[in-house]
Formats: sequence, structure tokens, C-alpha cells
Amino acid sequence: MSAAAFARRIDADVLVVGAGIAGLQASLDLGDQGYRVLLVEREASIGGHMIGLSKVFPTMDCASCITTPKMSAAAHHDLVTTLTYSDVTSITRVPGGFEARIVKRPRYVNEDACTGCRLCEYACPVDVPHEFDGGLGARRAIAVPFGTAIPQKAVLDLANCILCGKCEKACPAGAIDLLQEPEAIEARARAVVLATGYRPTPTDAKREYVAGRTGNVISGLDMERLLAPNGPYGRVLRPSDGKIPERIAYVQCAGSRDETLGVPYCSRVCCMYAIKQAMLLSGALPLADITIYHMDIRTFGKGYEEFYQTARSMGINFVKAKVARITPRPDGDVDLRIEHQEEDGRVEDVRHDLVVLSVGLEPGDDVGRFAPVRTDRYGFVRSADAALDVTGTEVPGMFAAGTALAPKDIVDTVAEASAVAMRVAGYLRRSTETADELVEVARG
Amino acid sequence: MSVTTQDRSLAPVRLERSLIPELERFGAVDVSACFNCGSCTAVCPIGTEDGAFPRRLIRYAQLGMRDRLAASPEVWSCYACGECTQSCPRDADPAGFMAAARRWATASHDHTGLARRLATSAPFATVFITLLVGALAAFLYTAHRPVSGREIALFEYLPATFVHNLGIAILAAFGVAAIGGLVRCCRTLSRVRPAEHGTRSTRAIGEAVWFAVARESIAQERMRRECADDPGVEARPWYLRRWFIHAATMWGFLGLLVATIADFLLDLTGLKPTGVHVPLWYPVRLLGTLGGLLLVYGTSVSIVRRVRKRERSVARSSVSDWWFLWLLWFAGVSGFALELALYLPDAPGWGYPVFLFHVAVSMTLVLLAPFGKFAHAIYRPVALAVLRLRSGSGGAPA
Ligand SMILES: Cc1cc2nc3c(=O)[nH]c(=O)nc-3n(C[C@H](O)[C@H](O)[C@H](O)COP(=O)(O)OP(=O)(O)OC[C@H]3O[C@@H](n4cnc5c(N)ncnc54)[C@H](O)[C@@H]3O)c2cc1C
Ligand code: SF4
Ligand code: SF4
Repeated sequence: MSAAAFARRIDADVLVVGAGIAGLQASLDLGDQGYRVLLVEREASIGGHMIGLSKVFPTMDCASCITTPKMSAAAHHDLVTTLTYSDVTSITRVPGGFEARIVKRPRYVNEDACTGCRLCEYACPVDVPHEFDGGLGARRAIAVPFGTAIPQKAVLDLANCILCGKCEKACPAGAIDLLQEPEAIEARARAVVLATGYRPTPTDAKREYVAGRTGNVISGLDMERLLAPNGPYGRVLRPSDGKIPERIAYVQCAGSRDETLGVPYCSRVCCMYAIKQAMLLSGALPLADITIYHMDIRTFGKGYEEFYQTARSMGINFVKAKVARITPRPDGDVDLRIEHQEEDGRVEDVRHDLVVLSVGLEPGDDVGRFAPVRTDRYGFVRSADAALDVTGTEVPGMFAAGTALAPKDIVDTVAEASAVAMRVAGYLRRSTETADELVEVARG
Repeated sequence: MSVTTQDRSLAPVRLERSLIPELERFGAVDVSACFNCGSCTAVCPIGTEDGAFPRRLIRYAQLGMRDRLAASPEVWSCYACGECTQSCPRDADPAGFMAAARRWATASHDHTGLARRLATSAPFATVFITLLVGALAAFLYTAHRPVSGREIALFEYLPATFVHNLGIAILAAFGVAAIGGLVRCCRTLSRVRPAEHGTRSTRAIGEAVWFAVARESIAQERMRRECADDPGVEARPWYLRRWFIHAATMWGFLGLLVATIADFLLDLTGLKPTGVHVPLWYPVRLLGTLGGLLLVYGTSVSIVRRVRKRERSVARSSVSDWWFLWLLWFAGVSGFALELALYLPDAPGWGYPVFLFHVAVSMTLVLLAPFGKFAHAIYRPVALAVLRLRSGSGGAPA
């Protein structure tokens, strides 16, 4: 007896893999044109990285305020079916389109019954570092993924659960179901959009930075959480001792443009997000000194150079130097070793009390593992043509958008997502017409 | 409006595009790859003391500032530990650049062009050195006489005065080349930034010389302190550390040199004619044996490491590295073979050819010393003293 024999089957026009802002926008644009979309997300909530950001450049909009409407629009769209907590294990070409195998992991909570009241969460005695907050805050072993998660359904994390049964007693809907099994789902779609996004580059890859990996050296994503209104501390404190930081440093290109890390490319967004965070920090901590150590500042979009100049005029320090080494001090402060290139070339250990590594972007998943597409040597999906067919792949009917293709910001991701929706619609129209013609020809 | 300046460093500089390919011929990997981030300078264990390098020197090369690069004593500060290469985000191999710059500097202090060819062409170096050793051996052979007796009698085979006179001629040639190079080196170092030399008290000069010669060249303070090991290699016992391997090679070589000269002097004064058997503890023989052991140990480890390429500091070896190492190794090993032949009961027939080979290799080594890797022993102390004087206390320049 194979699981597949009992598999649920879902038929759609388009399968969208990944529900970050790219996948959401593409699904909405396709749904609005009347196509049936199956949107599959690995995590327990849709929203991708964007829902975890504080405010976003260039508009400085609150990220949750502009992401949640898209998330709920997709979740409630008549033509969009969302599957969360689900892995796509394979996508193969079949006549007329693609067949995908999907495994929905057990939440150990009945999704239909759970109302998101969180009583289970309050009852659970186990605290675990909260992934959504970069491990800076805590969650319970059973919890709704985060405040703005969609769906608002609890997930029980069996690895940390002590099986005390408290949540089961607390749940008014009787939704806790420890016997849940992974569910195999078979999907058919005529086209596929890969929107698998990015992962931040690891912070422990650079030898010269590893020693400094104490609590007070955090990643750019961690800082997003510290700055977010719903962040772990509700304000910006340094993690090791709760001190209000006074000398904050940004280490640019901490995971990019570095052959020793195998990431020679520029991750594009980190200069801009560092500037953004520095501006937000000067609002949150008006007395703090903020220094951005960079090799050069890359402001690539419309209005971005002005954004940078504003930051300079706000008193944020920009120092041209690549941080060569990070060394912790016993009091929790951190030394950054740099060459003062713009001065006399002296080498100095500059002291800071909070250091942010401007991590870069690497592929969100190894797409080649489950889909018949080609990836470039870093693992990003390869476009059919890097200039003229960016969102197409070499496989007819298979498309991609967003950071799954290459590092980019939200503005470009959203534009690309809408573009891919257009391309997919055109493709579906054409293949329908060809199919109709074939039928007519066959009828004689 | 006109601008006048007293600052000599603002004088016009000549920029030569040919400098990059030239340095690459000397073994620099990809000078243009460097994007001047400064990581290398900041991680360099001695960069703080001796000023900004390697980045600044690479910048000179990228801009084609030949004179500036030539006048930078910093090239000789580097211990080639490879720390910078390990951290370079562009894989530009700054440590390799420094080594290439030293070869380039050695070649630019040598007007015969020999150093350049020996450093840039493996076929030339191989053929030239083989021919030189062969020619010297052949020349020695022309003077040989028939020997009688059951023991090896080297100086019955070759007249002692002949060997000694040839040795003196070789040393003299070495001296001329070395002094010529030194003079040119000093001139280059003072050409571009003469203002920085100014007048210094005898005391300061004495201190700088003491620092450069005694503390740095002989005691190798910083090499032991800062560059003891290759980055990323787990701590090794002292006898496998980089500084020890270097010290073994250097002291072994010096020990052998002193023993040879002492032997010669003993012969001159008639105290002990060369070739007479003495017990192992006889000071000169003991010094020679110990020196030989150290030399063979040091060079063997270096050769093995350069072949294996496990550590960053030996990942890329140049022609100069190889020929210098092999000459040293052959000199040491043939010396031992000779000692063995001398003290074996029945005169082995191979004793005499080994003798010829050993003398020829040793003479080649001395003759070529100013044209290859050994030249650092000549230029480095000068450069370090200059740096010390420039920076006042030897701390970071103000
Ligand atoms: C610290 C930081 C700050 C930033 N700040 C800004 C900013 O202020 N302004 C701005 O414009 N940009 C900013 N960015 C960039 C921004 O985050 C991205 O441009 C944007 O989120 C990309 O969206 P995406 O949908 O392509 O990728 P993602 O947000 O990564 O979404 C991909 C989704 O796919 C899912 N997924 C992956 N693989 C699979 C799979 N096999 N099956 C199912 N699902 C899968 C993932 O779980 C994820 O939910 C910032 C980036 C960082 C790191
Ligand atoms: S965007 Fe800036 S910080 Fe990021 S990799 Fe490019 S240059 Fe470096
Ligand atoms: S670390 Fe590499 S890229 Fe950076 S300045 Fe040095 S050689 Fe150039």
C-alpha cells in the first residue's frame, strides 16, 4: 500500500512554489485573470521573508502593513488554493503539463478545527527560541507561527514537545491531533512558477568573523526583527545583556562578494537595507553612533542614491573599509579590524557594542532537486534568456520570479511576479488554443 | 590660480601600464583582481607596525607606479605567512603578490638581467643552472690528478689551492654582485621619498640597524611571534613550525658556510690540512655535520610542503622557490654523501664524482645567491632599517 494510492488530488492551471511576496503577487495576478492557482509554501505561514521585515526601503512602509493584505487576499482568493507546511518533492513533465508530488507535513493540529485562539500556546510549558525572531525571542512548543501569520493555525513542534497533554486539555476546539500523518498530495497543473526565494547567507562561514559570533554580532534579518514593532523585545536592545547600544556597526558584504565564501556576486539589497536600518536606528536610538563599513555603497534603484545621501546627511557614518576581522571583548563589546584607507592607511581595531552583519542572499532552495530546471552555478534558477526572457526557463511551461532567480529587492520582485503572471497567462492561452485546434483537427 | 606644493609626494608620477603584466611574469597571480578592500592589510600580523601593505603596494602596481613600488621597503617586511591570501575576498593572493614583488625588486636591483630570467623562465633556470653546475664540475675535473692509496684523498685528487682559489673567486663574484645590488637598492629606496629620510641621530640609526640585523634577521623575532604557523593549520610541534623550518635552513646554511671557511683557514694556518680525518666531535666537523643536518631537514620539509600544497603559504611556488630549494638540498645531501665516502673504510669509487658535484653545487649556490631567493638576506635588513627609521620608533607611522 503506497501513500500515493490514497493521495488527495488537486487540479490547477498553475502551480506556484513558494509564497513569499513573489509567489503571492504572481498567484493574485493569475487568480484575478481567472486561472486556478495552487500555491504551495514550505513554512507554516505564507508571506516569506517580507512579513518578517520592519519597514521597507524605498518607501519606508511598515512591512507587515503592506504584506498582510497581500497574504490575506491570496488566502481568501476564490481561485487560489494555498497549502502551507508542505514540501514539493517532485515536479515532472507529463502530457498537457506537469505533475507534482507534494507532502503536507503534520501540524498535529487539525487545521479545519483550529480557530487560532492560542489557548494551547498559553498552556504549553515549553519555551523554544523563536525562529521568526532569529532566535532572539521565545515561542512555545505549540504555537501560532507569529502574530501576523496566515493561516492563524497552531503548529505543534514535536521535536520540543514533552507530551504533557496540557494543550490538548486547553484547546476548546479539540483540534490537537497527535496521530496526524504526513499527507501525500498529487497535483496537476499546466504551468509552474518557481518562487522559492532566498535564504540569508550563513553568518558562520567567514573564518575571520567566526570568533566574533557572540550574542552581540547579529545578522541583518535579526536587526529587522529588533526594529519591527512586533519584535522580540519591542525595542532595540543588544541581545547579550539588554544594554541600549551606543556604537552600532554594519559590516557590509558580510556574505557576498567574497571568493572565500563561494559567493562572489553582489547581493544587491544589503547596502540598501543597511542604510534603511541605520535610518530607523537613528530614530529609535537618537544618541547612538552608527557606522557602516563598506567597500562601496550600491544604490541601484530609482531614488536610492537620494536615500543614501539622506542617510549621510542624518549623520550616519560611512567608512570605506572591509572589516577584516571581528574579535569579541570580555565586556561584550566587539572589535572590528579595518584599514583606514581614506586616511593614512593605519590599521585599527574599532570598538562597537553591537555589530550587524549585512548578510547576502543565496538561493532559497535547491530547486534542481525536485524540478527539471537548470540552475546557475550558485543555485539560482536559470532564465531562458538573461536579457529577453528573464522569467522563463528552458522548460516550456515552467517559469520563475523573484529572488529564486537572483538577488533583488521587493520592488523588482513584485514587478517580476506580475510579469511572470502575464507570461504564464499568455502561455496558457496559447496552449489552450493549440489544444482546441488539435481537437478540431481530430474531429475533422 | 596656481598650486605650489612642498610635498614631494605630490610630484608628478609616471604611470606604466606594463607594470601589471611584468609583475605577473614574476608570479603575481592576478593583480587586477584586487578591489582594494583592505582586508589583507588589516589581517596582516605585521602590517600594523611597518605601514600599510599589501593593499597599498598592490594599488601601486595597479596604477603602474613603478617607482613607488620599487621604493617601498615594505615588500621585504612580509614573512609570507599567507594570512592575507587566506582572507582575500577576491582570491587575489596578496601574499603571492608580495613574493612576486620581492622577485621583481631583486631583478630590478640586478642589471645583468640574470635575476629576471632566473625568476621568470623555468626552462631557462633549469638549463642555466644545470649547465653552470656541469661547467664548474668540468672545470674542476680538468685539474684532477691520479690518486693512489686505499683511502679517499680529496686534495690529492684536486689540488687544494686550486679549489680554494676558485672558491675565493666565486666569493668575490658574489661580493661584487651583492654590493652592486645593495647600492642600487639603497638608491631606489631613497629616490622617491627622500624627505622621509632626513637626518637622524646616530643613536636612531644604530637602533634601526640593531633592530633590522640582530632582532629581525638573526633572531627573527616577529617571524616567531606573529607568523609562527600557517593560518588554518592546527598548532604543530615546534620542529614543524614555519619559523623553525626557516631557521633550520638558514642556520644550517650559515653553519656549513662557517665550517667551510674555518676548514679553509685551518688549512691555511697549517693547523689541520683539509681532508685529514678528524673525529666527529672535532668542532669544525661537528659544526659542519650539524649544519648539514639542519639544512637537509629544513629544505626537505620545505620541498615536501611545496609539493603537497596543503598550506596557503606554499600553495603556489615559483621557479625561484624551486631552484633555490633544490640547490640547497643537493648541496646538503651531497655533503653528507661526501662525508660518508670519506669515512668509509674502503675508498668507494663514487667518492670523487660526489666531491666534484658537491663543490660545483655549492659554488653555484654562492654565485647565484644575489640573483634569487637568497637575495632577501641582502636586501631585507636594509629595508627593515629604513622602515624603522621612517616610522621613528618602529611603531605605526604617524
Ligand atoms: C535583512 C533584509 C532586509 C531587507 N529589506 C528590504 C527592504 O527594506 N526593501 C526591499 O525592497 N527589500 C528588502 N529585502 C529583500 C527582500 O526581502 C526580498 O526582495 C523579497 O523578500 C524577496 O521575495 P521572494 O518572494 O522572492 O523570496 P522569499 O521572501 O524568500 O519567499 C520565498 C518563499 O518560498 C518558500 N519556499 C522556498 N522553497 C520552497 C519549496 N521548495 N517549497 C515550498 N516553498 C518554498 C520559502 O519558505 C519562502 O516563504 C531585505 C532582505 C534582507 C535579507
Ligand atoms: S549590496 Fe552592498 S553589501 Fe550587499 S553585496 Fe552588494 S555591495 Fe556588498
Ligand atoms: S584582500 Fe584581496 S581584494 Fe582586498 S585589498 Fe587585499 S588583495 Fe585586494
